[in-house]
Amino acid sequence: MTKVELAKSSFCGLDLASRLDELGRTGWETLDEATLTIHLKWLGIFFRPVTPGRFMVRLRLPNGVLTADQLELLAEVVDRCGEHGSADVTTRQNLQLRGLLLEDMAPLMAALERVGLTSRQSGHDNPRNITGNPLAGIDPEEWVDTRPLIEAIQAVLLGPEGPRNLPRKFNVAVGGAPDSFLLHNDLAYLPSLREGELGFTVMVGGFFSAQRNELAIPLGLWLRAEQLPLFTLAVLRHYEHCGDRSSRQRSRLMYLIEALGLDGYRDAVLETYRSLGGDLAEGIPHDGSHLVTRAPRDVCGQHPQKQPGLCWVGLNIPMGRLDSTAMFALADLARDYGSGELRFSESQNVLIVNVPIERAAALRAEPLTLRFPSAPGPLLAEAISCTGNHYCGLAQIPTKSTALAVVEALEQRLEIPHPVRNHWTGCPNACGQPYMGEIGLMGAKARKDGQMVEAVKIFLGGSMSAEPQLALLHNKAVPLSDLTDVLETLLVERFGASRRPASE
Amino acid sequence: MPAPSAPSGFLPEPASLPAPGSAERWPWLQALGRQKPLRLEPWLRALEHGELEPQSDLLAVLADQLDADATLRLLRLWMRNPERSPSLPHRVGHVRDNAIAELLIAALADGSDALLEPAWRPLLLPLLGHQRRAGDFQVLRRLALEPGPLQLRLSALEGLSLGLSAWPLTELRNTLMTLATDLDPRLAAAAVDALARLPRARSLLIQLRRSALDASVAERLERRLRALPAHPLLLVVHGRADGVIPPLIRSLAAELERRRGAPVALRALTDPEPLSSLPMRESLALVPLFLLPGGHVRHDLQGIAAELRCRGSVRLLPFLGSWPLFQRVLAQEVEREGADGAVPRLLHHRVDGPLPERYLALLERVTGAPCLPTPESPADLAQLAGAHRGRLIPLTLGPSRLSDALIPIIGADAAAPLLARPPIWTMVLQALEELP
Repeated sequence: MTKVELAKSSFCGLDLASRLDELGRTGWETLDEATLTIHLKWLGIFFRPVTPGRFMVRLRLPNGVLTADQLELLAEVVDRCGEHGSADVTTRQNLQLRGLLLEDMAPLMAALERVGLTSRQSGHDNPRNITGNPLAGIDPEEWVDTRPLIEAIQAVLLGPEGPRNLPRKFNVAVGGAPDSFLLHNDLAYLPSLREGELGFTVMVGGFFSAQRNELAIPLGLWLRAEQLPLFTLAVLRHYEHCGDRSSRQRSRLMYLIEALGLDGYRDAVLETYRSLGGDLAEGIPHDGSHLVTRAPRDVCGQHPQKQPGLCWVGLNIPMGRLDSTAMFALADLARDYGSGELRFSESQNVLIVNVPIERAAALRAEPLTLRFPSAPGPLLAEAISCTGNHYCGLAQIPTKSTALAVVEALEQRLEIPHPVRNHWTGCPNACGQPYMGEIGLMGAKARKDGQMVEAVKIFLGGSMSAEPQLALLHNKAVPLSDLTDVLETLLVERFGASRRPASE
Repeated sequence: MPAPSAPSGFLPEPASLPAPGSAERWPWLQALGRQKPLRLEPWLRALEHGELEPQSDLLAVLADQLDADATLRLLRLWMRNPERSPSLPHRVGHVRDNAIAELLIAALADGSDALLEPAWRPLLLPLLGHQRRAGDFQVLRRLALEPGPLQLRLSALEGLSLGLSAWPLTELRNTLMTLATDLDPRLAAAAVDALARLPRARSLLIQLRRSALDASVAERLERRLRALPAHPLLLVVHGRADGVIPPLIRSLAAELERRRGAPVALRALTDPEPLSSLPMRESLALVPLFLLPGGHVRHDLQGIAAELRCRGSVRLLPFLGSWPLFQRVLAQEVEREGADGAVPRLLHHRVDGPLPERYLALLERVTGAPCLPTPESPADLAQLAGAHRGRLIPLTLGPSRLSDALIPIIGADAAAPLLARPPIWTMVLQALEELP
């Protein structure tokens, strides 16, 4: 049994919840390393080796939805961390708060519960935040509102029957619109018509890692919406019991599918589903066809909702990084202009929804939009970034600050005719999903003028369209000092950009 | 494109580590990280002998497996290296161990044999706080409070924050209260944030609110206070006939409610309405505004608390007369009244039993003023006043039969109930404002 499996089997991290108050009051000196670095993640609490003593909390925001009141609470939490506090919008439509002390945790967990939030099982070998259409319920193009489905799935997974000790992390997503690209998830439900009835085709096995990257494949099953929660539980239960725990490098779901064969895997999951009381008596086989036909929309800017007279306004959060001032301001804007609801997108941006159309112009003129523009440039709008080496020991470059500086410089130099999806990640673990970018950038080291310097590998050609493909390596290591020039040439030669006349 | 996996025949030895910039280096280091337990000695030796550079990617992998001894060696190596990287201490310094704390303390020492130049010391102070040894509090406290480079003071305060629950609470409170009024707003802001995490934080922040603060710090303090909402209070007084509560006490409650931003209800023991008419919150603090531990305090208040607990959470506070702060301010009032050498008497309602007697004896000791029971008849009261040249302080919070009876004898000013005396009004109001 691996060291991690040994630690996980010793006790469940959820049991620490009742001790948080005591640990905060009396000190946590006695916590062993495994408890500090593994078990606390079951409560969404992350010990960060790069900032010892300053912890991170990762929430769960099903479908990326939260209210102004909830955001205001989180803003206060970040604010009290002073210069150490920040929050990142993640690529799973989630928020993670940085700079917290362990003394903050007991009151934070109680406060989260009071406002209907949780950070439970958001890290380590758990089912992660469930993503869906960020425009669910307001989208003129949507096939189905993913919010209630995702809420129901989360309720089952966090309920008494849910998994507590998976072999590895597990990503679940539900698509609801023609642009719901979700094939990077272990389990994705894509909207699909079967004999005229709207349901979901099941896709399994997608994941990115340092060793291997796979897009999800059709399981060959079609489900009705009401079947998703129990079926998800069945997939997780089966994975919990049968997944490979001998090596953490070969333990994601795809390896289990390959070990059993797709047909064998499907049969085994269906058996588990039936044992849980699931009914699949009729018409479940499916060819995997679905209604997702194009890459995700740029959510920034003003767009009409399906509700007459209302619109959403998407604001670009550069690289997904928030501070408390911005969080307070966003909560105010959501209350003042919308219905008090906000959404986070997988592109690390924020939407203020249910805004009366006649008020949208005023919202787009608010001072906060100077920082978080509603009409960002074509690179900034589609820039996604991992945390970077300020907080992550694995990252080889300061991803967010580098990305922002390079993107801003390129947008000054170039006229770019359309948005270009650019994904930045600090290391091969690929948290910034570089293989999904039209341009992917991965932190590396390179030698320049006899010195070892920070650099990136460049990947090209990722597509999230109807015919998805992963980006391929284009350039092994470009020193950061040369990166803007190299990308400028690439954008001109391959993406139709033209150089602006040099200003005098 | 996935990264290549570690080469077959992988040897977890320093000599095999691919050079920085090599495509093989990342998967190789990942494979090294999976060697658990990793034999650290060859790596430490290679670093110490200069055969390997302490590159951040290598340290990130080693850091996961460092024990105290290895951490010590890396920190010593870093201290010896004139071209040290500022990122190393944080990358390797998360292990908590007494020997590491001792090394950090030694590195912070001044003198000709100092291990480290002063400019580098701020990097070590958060790590010292992370060690959470109570004995290191004084070092961090001194460096945070003493005049010095701002970065050093900020780092010392960060060290205090990282060890928050490990330090002696009273000294920590005093230190943070001082830092919160520092002229540098960054330092003051961080101190306010740390104070907000301590037990009784609300009380501390309200006390701090009365100090002169930088505008940005004052705003921060208000934000912290908003996150520490006050509980509703129920002030219980004796009251006059039919539950009438004197305007003086009503105005106290109104001002208190304004300051606390939370409901403050008043209830008189003489109120004929049933207790069920009182609006009940989910939780409240019941404050007996009584000055003596008579039957009301010993019996009636317990009954009220018990009845209210059927409807929510109730915290019953000690009666006001037992608060040391009240006793001190009363003593100051006695001193002020007796400034010409004539010691005033504290005139109280008649009480029976050993507990009130002990309390009155205590009050006499604390204030230096003899406590006398109020005579039953006006004539006896007038005689008593005459015997003490009118120096009688009625031990009653608001207007009552006792103070009313004294007015024709010693005048309205001298017979003023305690709340009508500004120092006592201020003390009671502030003390109640600071309640959680």
